[in-house]
This record gives sequence, structure tokens and C-alpha cells, in this order.
Amino acid sequence: MSTPQRKVIDSRGSFCPGPITDLFKAYRASNIGDILELWATDPAAKSDVTAWARKSRNEILEITDENGYIRLVVKIINKR
Amino acid sequence: MNRRIVVVGSGTGGTLTANLLAKELRREIRDGRVSVELLGEGPEHYFQPASLDVAFKGASPVGFSRDEEGLLDGRVKFIQEKATMINLNERVVTTRDGRRLSYDYLVIATGAEANPDGVPGLKDGSLNFHTGPHNAKKIWEAINWFKGGKVVVAIAGTPHKCPPSPNEAAFMLHEFFRKMGIRDRVEIKFLTPYPRAYPAEKVSHVVESLFKRVGIEVSTFFNIESVDPTKKKVYSLEGDEFDYDLLIAVPPHSGAKVIKDSGIGDADGWVPTDKKTMLVNGYDDAFCIGDATNIPVSKSGVVAHLQSNTVALNISSSVKGLNQSFGYNGRINCPMEVGHRKAIFVSATYTTPPSDQVPSFIKYIMKKSFGKMYWTALRGSLEPVFAFYFGPTTTSIIEQHPIYTTSKLKPAIKGEV
Repeated sequence: MSTPQRKVIDSRGSFCPGPITDLFKAYRASNIGDILELWATDPAAKSDVTAWARKSRNEILEITDENGYIRLVVKIINKR
Repeated sequence: MNRRIVVVGSGTGGTLTANLLAKELRREIRDGRVSVELLGEGPEHYFQPASLDVAFKGASPVGFSRDEEGLLDGRVKFIQEKATMINLNERVVTTRDGRRLSYDYLVIATGAEANPDGVPGLKDGSLNFHTGPHNAKKIWEAINWFKGGKVVVAIAGTPHKCPPSPNEAAFMLHEFFRKMGIRDRVEIKFLTPYPRAYPAEKVSHVVESLFKRVGIEVSTFFNIESVDPTKKKVYSLEGDEFDYDLLIAVPPHSGAKVIKDSGIGDADGWVPTDKKTMLVNGYDDAFCIGDATNIPVSKSGVVAHLQSNTVALNISSSVKGLNQSFGYNGRINCPMEVGHRKAIFVSATYTTPPSDQVPSFIKYIMKKSFGKMYWTALRGSLEPVFAFYFGPTTTSIIEQHPIYTTSKLKPAIKGEV
């Protein structure tokens, strides 16, 4: 089993569906245990990622407002 | 000295850019100081949005193709050869036949490729209307044989060409089965990776309300992981699964093979491009337009069209020594047919999101009219009409003045990019 990885996805400057699409791309390439950290300036990213995590049964570790962008940290605990 | 402009790709963007350049630089071409060459793979030009009508209305693809050479300004040299390598550092494009075209300015308009092989089981388990009219026609045959059951419309990868097309497919299926008198025996399900039925929230409100009214069920956050053609099941990465009797799926898309082979794209083969000037990042003599770019706007013919204007202006300005730089404002304008001869338009720019929409017959007529005007538009002779409709989509970056037509390099009205 591979060591869990942490990946930063920088979607700053991109609007819906950019950030969530970038997250999906990283999710497709991820393994269970990996941490995906999404940076987004689109405010819709907060609700979109939260709704996706709930639906896909993955875990949101952190949502923070940084200087001019939102940082969303998701732990992958469910993936077919 | 002859300045050589090479355009790679003879779709909407490539054809229009070549024609606009030929008009803009007609004197320079006449005097032998400039040449415009268009490198295209095939002899025919297909109007891609017609695939929806072929798939769901039984239209014949024959009426939607024209001879490419006949669409070109007489000053454009058409080379019917497949580009196999683009070397941006040495300024050379190589073709399959071994021809080497050096250039002073390059326009990459190589489009996007839909790859049903990109998801396990998808190629054998689904039909699609994104890989040409021949495959779109298979949908028409399949729905005519369909007697009832579960029809699933799915998006198997993003980004893809023509963002509204999967929604349109679902609406058109509803209409088709209703006309056939079997709608009550057909369950239509729409699977999307997005958080809602359409990515843009205000457009999604309209779509979801109409879907609900006509009984189309939506399942969001469904990123297709695989398809089992034997069990007729489609699975998502998120752990959901659905049965189907007929699966119509938008395949995953990527940039063209020549982009990947040349090592000038990102991991998916999209060319990193400046979203305003349309210059390939890191180069001042190579531009990229349309589906081929990595810019986060719709992959559609309208976008390629508007970006063609920007690039034609930037190149002609440079050739003429005017040194003005022009920028595209991110304008999109995607018509979406919602059934019952009604449509909406998904319009936005980089700074203005799509607004609320009310489906109307007028918009449906406008959509159909755009289709009819397509061939004339490709010749570049309808630019004043489009400029009137779209407003300033290309703007002088330095002077912050919008340009309404490609025939004038001097700005007309003040505005912002």
C-alpha cells in the first residue's frame, strides 16, 4: 500500500466549475488516505466541496479563509 | 521579406482566423510580403453542433458538411495534411508527409478529441454524439428501436465540447419519446459530476426546474469510474451505481495528439495560453484558440470564433508594425435547446457570470439561425453583425479601448478588458 500523499490544487482565479473540476481530477488520481488541499478564489467552492464531500463520504479536515482565497482540505476516505 | 503565418487546424477557429487574416492583410499578401497557410487534416468541414439533430431528430449529416477549400478566402493557401509535430522553439510545423513549415506567426487551432477509451467499458457500453455524425446516427437508430426502460445521459469527463449539449440531449430524448407515445415507459436519468444539473448556478435553476417538470431525474457528483456493458451498469468514483438499458455518454476529452506528441500541452493536452492575448504562454509568435487552449471557458465554436478575432487583430497589428495588443474578454454564448422549440443562452465573460434565463421561442429561432449563418460566418463576412450582437469582445489591452470589427485597428469606444 502506498504512503498517503498530500497534494495542493491551486484553482485561484478560476470560477465554477473550475475549482471543483480540478478537485475531481485530483480525486481520480488519489488513493485512500491522501490529503487534497484546494485553493480557490471562487466563493462557491466552499459549498460545492462541502456538498461533494458529504455525498462522496470523504472528510473535510479544514476550511479556512486565507489572504484573498479559501483553503479547503479534504481527506480521501472513500473511493471506488 | 515574406512574413509567413501558419494556422494549424481547419475547424471553426482555424478557418475563420485564416479568412480574417487574409482580409486584414490583403494588401500585404497582394504585395508578396505576407502569406497565410492553413494546415487541415480533411477535405471536408463539418458543422459539429448538428450532431444533436442527427442523434435526436434524425437529421441527415450530409447537409452539414462543406468542402473546406470552398470556405476559404482565395488568398489563403490550404494544405491538406495532418500536422504531426509543432516545434515552438524552432518555429517549425511538421506534417505526416514530412513537409516542414517554418513560420513567423503560428495559430494553433487543433481542437479537442473525445476519447471513449478514456473510461473502462465506456466505448462498448455507451453511444455518443461527440465523435462525429456517424456515431451520432447510431443514437438515432437506437432510440427508434427502444421500446421502454432506463435511458441514462451521462458526462464521463470534464471539460468537454459544448457544455450545454448533455442537457440538450436529455431534453431532446424526452421530446422524442413523448412524440413516439412511449414516454411513460421510459425513465430518463441525467448523471453529472457537477454539483448541479448545469455548472452555472443561475442556468441550473432553469434546467432543474424544467427537468423536474418533464420527469428527468438528476444525480449530481457522479464522476464515472467505469461501465460494465454486460451487466449494463455505470459506476462512479464516489461509490454510486445505476442500471441502464441505453447509455448516452459524453466521453472524456483531451487536447489533440499533435499537441501531446509535441510536448506543448499540459497533462491532458491543453495548450497553456494567455486568456486575454491568446498567446501560448512563454511565446510571442504563437497563439492558441478554441478547444485547444487550457483557458477555463466553454469549449465551443462561438468561443473559437471570438478568439479568432483577437488573434487576427494581434497578428495583423504586429505585421503592420502598429504594436497594439488586443485581449479577449472571455465572452461565451452557448445556446441550449430545452425542448418544445424553446431555448436559453448561457452568456458570460471572465468578469460577468451567466444571468437568469427564461426559455423562449425567439432564442430557439436564434439558435437555429446561427446554424444557418455558420458557413457565411466562417468566411468572416458577418463580423459586423456579430460585433453588434456580442458587443466588444476584443479590447485593446494597452489603451483599454474595445474593438467592434476586425476591419479597423483603431478603437471606437472606451471600455475595459
